[in-house]
Amino acid sequence: MHIPDGLIAPQVYLAAYAAAAPAWAYAVRKVARDFDESLIPRLAVLTALAFVLTTVMIPLPGGTSGHVIGVGLLALAFGIWPAFLAYSLVLVLQSLLFGAGGITVLAVNALAMGLAAAAVTVGVHRLLVGWGKSVGVLVGVWCGVVVSAVLVALVLGVQPQMGTDATGQPLFFPFGPAVTLPVIVIPHLIIGAGEALLTWMVLSVTGRRRVPA
Amino acid sequence: MKDRLLLSVWLVAVVGITFIHDPVWLGGLLLLAFALAGKATPGLLKRALVAIALVNIAVSAGFVLSASIAGEPWGLFVIRLNLRVLLLTFLTLWLARQLDLVRAVDFSPSLKFVVVLTLGQIKTFQRLLSDYRMAFRSRSLGRPDLKTRTRSAGRQAGALLEKAELQATEVNLGMRSRGFFDDRA
Repeated sequence: MHIPDGLIAPQVYLAAYAAAAPAWAYAVRKVARDFDESLIPRLAVLTALAFVLTTVMIPLPGGTSGHVIGVGLLALAFGIWPAFLAYSLVLVLQSLLFGAGGITVLAVNALAMGLAAAAVTVGVHRLLVGWGKSVGVLVGVWCGVVVSAVLVALVLGVQPQMGTDATGQPLFFPFGPAVTLPVIVIPHLIIGAGEALLTWMVLSVTGRRRVPA
Repeated sequence: MKDRLLLSVWLVAVVGITFIHDPVWLGGLLLLAFALAGKATPGLLKRALVAIALVNIAVSAGFVLSASIAGEPWGLFVIRLNLRVLLLTFLTLWLARQLDLVRAVDFSPSLKFVVVLTLGQIKTFQRLLSDYRMAFRSRSLGRPDLKTRTRSAGRQAGALLEKAELQATEVNLGMRSRGFFDDRA
């Protein structure tokens, strides 16, 4: 779901950086306060965990597979802000190590796939946990994945409004929301279900045999 | 110093490139990037093409199709988009090859420690995941069904989560025992 470099107009990604900067600053302060001196090792381990989680493949019917985003799991296990911070660092590493995503779109990807997905997952989980832990986890993670897909689709969908050249051809991503929303969101309805199931399985297993802190 | 300078120049370059829309300029800059990379160009180009292929082919093909149906021009957009994305990805991969990330962030001791620890922990987790996958494969006769693969993926992610909690505690204790936090106080 990453947006790669080169598809997003500067006025959009610079605005995203302006929005992400205070969020990152708040996240660092919040995580530092909550984790005190264990901030550095915790953040490093969380980042590594999020990075490696993205390489865990979700089997899909038909013999294919997709990969885990992992933000929902991180958010439910450690909280919204550590998940956001760790995922932002993962995006930097993925960009530098694999050329996936990119530095200009880092803020857009971090806000959509890190902060929004984590906040929605935790929020829906809190709302529904009264109906049962499983319901909270399954619906929360699914909603987090779908909301982040909607945000990515909307950001891509506004790019045609960001300018055209003299011949009328778009300067950046060419398709509007009428195309991006169904193309990106519909597959994520299924991917979100896979991710929700996997997160529920992981939390069920780790919840049963919790590691002493 | 060299790494920090490299990181700064790259940041300015990638932002600047997104303001360039003329394919001739983008093509020229791509050739310049190839010259800069020298012998590493074929390898980096291959990695960059693999990284961008899926998205670029989908976007380009979709645009060609929709513009053709509408009877509108599409050539300039396709050339511009592909040159820009390839140039940005190539530069990023070239930077990653040149850059010592740890040295580049040594202006902040905390950030430096996060990067060092993260890179080390990634190796640990990758080894754990690889062990799990090989064990799963060695115990499977033929291709496992969807349910078994789903259960295995869940166990892999669960093992990673547990390992992460243990590692965080262990690294924290290790750093404390070596006086890391006292030095910073």
